[in-house]
Amino acid sequence: MSRGSGGGYDRHITIFSPEGRLFQVEYAFKAVKAAGVTSIGVRGKDSVCVVTQKKVPDKLLDPSSITHLFAVTKYLGLVATGTTADARTLVQQARNEAAEFRHKYGYEMPADTLARWIADKSQVYTQHAYMRPLGVVAMVLGIDDEVGPQLFKCDPAGHFFGHKATSAGLKEQEAINFLEKKMKNDPAFTYEETVQTAISALQSVLQEDLKATEIEVGVVVKGNPIFRALSTDEIDEHLTAISERD
Amino acid sequence: MGDSQYSFSLTTFSPSGKLVQIEHALTAVGSGQTSLGIKAANGVVIATEKKLPSILVDETSVQKIQILTPNIGVVYSGMGPDSRVLVRKSRKQAEQYNRLYKEAIPVTQLVRETAAVMQEFTQSGGVRPFGVSLLVAGYDDKGPQLYQVDPSGSYFSWKASAMGKNVSNAKTFLEKRYTDDMELDDAVHTAILTLKEGFEGQISGKNIEIGIIGADKQFRVLTPAEIEDYLQEVE
Repeated sequence: MSRGSGGGYDRHITIFSPEGRLFQVEYAFKAVKAAGVTSIGVRGKDSVCVVTQKKVPDKLLDPSSITHLFAVTKYLGLVATGTTADARTLVQQARNEAAEFRHKYGYEMPADTLARWIADKSQVYTQHAYMRPLGVVAMVLGIDDEVGPQLFKCDPAGHFFGHKATSAGLKEQEAINFLEKKMKNDPAFTYEETVQTAISALQSVLQEDLKATEIEVGVVVKGNPIFRALSTDEIDEHLTAISERD
Repeated sequence: MGDSQYSFSLTTFSPSGKLVQIEHALTAVGSGQTSLGIKAANGVVIATEKKLPSILVDETSVQKIQILTPNIGVVYSGMGPDSRVLVRKSRKQAEQYNRLYKEAIPVTQLVRETAAVMQEFTQSGGVRPFGVSLLVAGYDDKGPQLYQVDPSGSYFSWKASAMGKNVSNAKTFLEKRYTDDMELDDAVHTAILTLKEGFEGQISGKNIEIGIIGADKQFRVLTPAEIEDYLQEVE
């Protein structure tokens, strides 16, 4: 006769519940939403764009110290949605891993390899009791020499997939519904279309017009595959283009 | 293998003598996507559903059926991230065997070592069992072979087997259709028909995966186009 809920520990550490679920992993997903921020990523024909909210909760805070957009290497970007502290740990380890890869193998770590490494590390936390899963969903973007623009999303359960477009955070599902409609017929977006699709998706799910200081935008473009964050002026240009278009 | 703070096993006996964590792991497998394998007279086929969470996911970035050695492939039902760990460990074990003995690892030995890893995680400190069952398909000197390995670490050789959501219907279907003298092509058709039985939605080359190994002893995953050809033959 089966005993029941594993002595009540199945909610505290990553062991199976009677239904075969991992509650700690599910709670980690909730922690990602609890951060209150939504991020969006869109992959175009020759570029990838990620947009994330920049919420400054207190006027006394220095806004430049708040960011969810990180350069893991010169060529790879990472958007970490969820608990800020967990995000910093993840980025620090990812930067280390990418640098070691470059030193060991003599070429830049590709986006999918980094995504797989992050996902494998997350899987370890779901199987070993000594470390809890991280409350972060990571989106990795880069331009791959062979296949072109790449966008990967890694979650606390250790899953990772390549995406044509995706979202993470509080309004994840609404954003995915919006993006599914836009990407239905496999459009090949230009750079401007990619950025504007990402920004307008965020505006749509937040149901408000955004100011350039309220969002962060990161891009990689095929001709110049360096990951960079757009300046407030550049973001403003795109916002203006979107409002004129509508 | 034992985590520093947790020098005690998380999988322990219940008063009735059961290892409940393993039972829960099997439940996790049972809620995974259906997969199956069929051993033919001249080869083995393994197949699985490949249902992705959204149309936004790039299906070319996902491959559930993995190659372990040139003549051994594997498919799983259950938790994808756990399967990646086992695939990595199995590949390493196969390569270490090759390095030591200068020959390809026999299928039975690779299965045994993989199963041993899965058993370790049911007994070591601070870890939980793997939430996957594996179907290992290989062709070596002993001919075509199909093994199923469960979260407990127990494994059996099968003529045909299924795992995941639709396991009981699939196994009933396979029991009716299986013959000992099946050819590999027939086995592929039967595999497709079995998947079709419980498939929600329209089956296509993009939402199932098929891996085969024949007398050439080369395991390979079929392309979506090849799957479409087989699907049309089945119609």
